[in-house]
Amino acid sequence: MNTTTKKLALRNGNQMTAEGAIKAGCKFFAGYPITPASGIYKGLIDLLPLNNGIAISSPDEISALAYCVGASMRGVKAMTATSGPGWALMIETVQYAMITETPVVICVVQRLGPCTGGATQGAQGDILITEFASSGGYTIPVLYPTNSKECYELTVEAFNWAEKYRTPVVLLSDKEVGMTTESLDYNKLNATPNANRHVITDHDADYANWKMYGFDSPDMITKFAPVGGKVKVTATGSAHNANGYLKKNDPETLATLKHLEDKIQAHRDEMVLVKEDHEEDADTLVISFGITARTMKDSVIKARTKGRKVSSLTIFSIFPIPEKAILKAAKGCKNIVIAEENINGQYRMLLEPLLKNFNVTGINKLGSMITPDEILERIVQL
Amino acid sequence: MNTPELCTYMTHGAVMPFCKGCGHSNILKKLNDALVKLNLNPHDVCLVTDIGCIGLADALFDKVHTVHTTHGRSTGFATGIAVADKVLASDKLKTIVLIGDGGSMIGLLHIVNAALMNVDVTVIVANNFLFGMTGGQTSSLTPEHFNTVTSPFGSMNPSLDICQIADASKAGFIARKTATDKDLTDVISEAIDFSGFSIVEVLELCTEHGTKRNDLKGNMLLKMAEEEGHKIGVIKNSPVRPEFSKKYETDVNSHKGEIKPLKYINPKFVHNLKKPNGIIISGSAGERVQSTAAMLAEAALMCGLEVTQKNDNPVTQGSGFSLSEVIISPGEINYTGVASADYVIVVSENGLREIKNQDIFNRINDKTIFIVDDSLTIEKKGLNVISLPLRKYCGGDKAAVGAVDYVIRKFEPFQHNAIKLLLEKRFGEYEKIFKEEYYKL
Ligand code: SF4
Ligand SMILES: [Mg+2]
Repeated sequence: MNTTTKKLALRNGNQMTAEGAIKAGCKFFAGYPITPASGIYKGLIDLLPLNNGIAISSPDEISALAYCVGASMRGVKAMTATSGPGWALMIETVQYAMITETPVVICVVQRLGPCTGGATQGAQGDILITEFASSGGYTIPVLYPTNSKECYELTVEAFNWAEKYRTPVVLLSDKEVGMTTESLDYNKLNATPNANRHVITDHDADYANWKMYGFDSPDMITKFAPVGGKVKVTATGSAHNANGYLKKNDPETLATLKHLEDKIQAHRDEMVLVKEDHEEDADTLVISFGITARTMKDSVIKARTKGRKVSSLTIFSIFPIPEKAILKAAKGCKNIVIAEENINGQYRMLLEPLLKNFNVTGINKLGSMITPDEILERIVQL
Repeated sequence: MNTPELCTYMTHGAVMPFCKGCGHSNILKKLNDALVKLNLNPHDVCLVTDIGCIGLADALFDKVHTVHTTHGRSTGFATGIAVADKVLASDKLKTIVLIGDGGSMIGLLHIVNAALMNVDVTVIVANNFLFGMTGGQTSSLTPEHFNTVTSPFGSMNPSLDICQIADASKAGFIARKTATDKDLTDVISEAIDFSGFSIVEVLELCTEHGTKRNDLKGNMLLKMAEEEGHKIGVIKNSPVRPEFSKKYETDVNSHKGEIKPLKYINPKFVHNLKKPNGIIISGSAGERVQSTAAMLAEAALMCGLEVTQKNDNPVTQGSGFSLSEVIISPGEINYTGVASADYVIVVSENGLREIKNQDIFNRINDKTIFIVDDSLTIEKKGLNVISLPLRKYCGGDKAAVGAVDYVIRKFEPFQHNAIKLLLEKRFGEYEKIFKEEYYKL
């Protein structure tokens, strides 16, 4: 054992999310306690002052996200963390971040729903409510780690996406990923370099043509103007023209709205993070994410020892759905098994149209983790 | 009409989008005059508005930053802007919220919390006693008996005294004025200049929905306020509390050196495992179940093992059962649950009940070893049970500690010295942690 190359610690996903935020350059956090996300709040209360930032307590989840969006409008990277009940309260505010193109990261650590549900029970039941949280159905990019190391790395990625594409980004996890402590080697953390929003200044060459929400092409991300800077900000959560003024029945306004979705779609190929475990001549592909992706790994190992030809795909960038990567992994297979800890197979519902030429089945469960044997049984049956 | 010179902040020649006689026009002109009086750099001013007729103000101020937000939430966004500016950026920004009476109630907690925090935000509540934009409905600031489209026989409830709420929230500057007051400009400029949270409620009339339905003449506004028991004028001007960023500096920032950095662990011991071991520890809350599991995990890490620790407890963290599942493994751990336990440790009645609840007997194999306190009986037959007087020799609060130490001593998944080191760090000399008899077990 080479001890000199290791920096070991026991860390859970929530702690590593907090550390990832620091690495990403997060300077502002506002929190409201909720199990199983409170560890992120506590982590940043301790870490932000040490890193030239600030973490504050808010009186509810609506305030928490509003504080973060306000701070981001002032020009600093901001994040909050919650679970299902808090996300329900944030849904209006996250749309505000979306329509004003304000970068912000929201960690949603899932627990058992509906409603207050089970605070200390894990679940993966917020896939749909997370993604489809906007009136109009605009895409919210969502990243989903499976362990504490990835919590760190994908938090950095979430900030990078938020900054690059000027959008709210959700880092989705669950009680098991967020609160399970595990051994971690800090030397193995591998985060992408930090990205920062492009800020407009009044001496930029493109300043003369700059508009608050202006764009020339679908993929263009407008330069950001911070509140308090020399370039006047005109931000609004209402449908607006390129200059940021409320306008009704106006083609420019509709084009500005449409651009919110277009810019994400234009960049979706850059937002693909998956891990394929490919088996030559596999007839079955298992797809999963979050805590269940770990179970899937064990199931696949066991299935292979039983002589089954099976591949697996862990999806980290669950939205926008990495369609090409999924089709590539499915190629040559007959069966697709999608495992997720919810009652209705939420991600499977979305993938079924894409995978209409395959025999798609789901493994679903309520109240506790899917076990390796439960996935294995299905693989063997097929 | 304002002259161009006086329109440093407001659009010159702006046509007010409000109905004739609406109090909003006056409030906005006075706000502009207040900014002129303070001679603020327009880039250092941010107007935060939200939904309602008064929220149309953002389109009229073309020189300052304007942020038009969700209904009632303007003070929330303004708080984020102001905190970020004061603590992390230029520390020059004056953040001003314009909100209606309807919005002030849906967003009341943002106002209360901004006041408690004493952030440098000025909230101007344009109170015309009803929701104007949506057709004149009753709001929480509608006075009792006031007639609105949704209270055609007069409002049933008394109106909220938002200034008293602000006072109870320890706001330093509180004023209630009417839109036609001669000194409104002065009061607004004083509020903006105030270092910390300030609020100015301005009473006014919605000419479209308010005046027609009610007998309003002369100084009716003052009379109405009086009847509701609401004070008029500058109610409080007391800059005693430090503004948020100053308080943050003394109360938090100056202490940051006290936060201990994370210590990395060096694997300096060895293990004997060829395959993963799953250990379930079940006991009562407050009896160190999860912290013992954490020690076990750390000791395993010190021996170069991979580790996961998953805890479970009821929603109340200090009562009922407490259960941890620890996996220690020479290789990568995927599934974090203990599917087939190698050791099940049960140290209390609560713990035993939970073992049954969670169906742990279905997650064992014929080699699973049960370490059970001798006060407990497991009815199930055919198990490998080691019954020990743990509670007697180690005490209830260290029964789990004793059990884990026992497992490592007897079965040596890894070097006992690793856990011994941690135990000594936590409890002092190893030989004195438990009663003498324990060490003979
Ligand atoms: S509806 Fe009432 S509040 Fe709105 S502009 Fe007209 S008079 Fe003013
Ligand atoms: Mg009103």
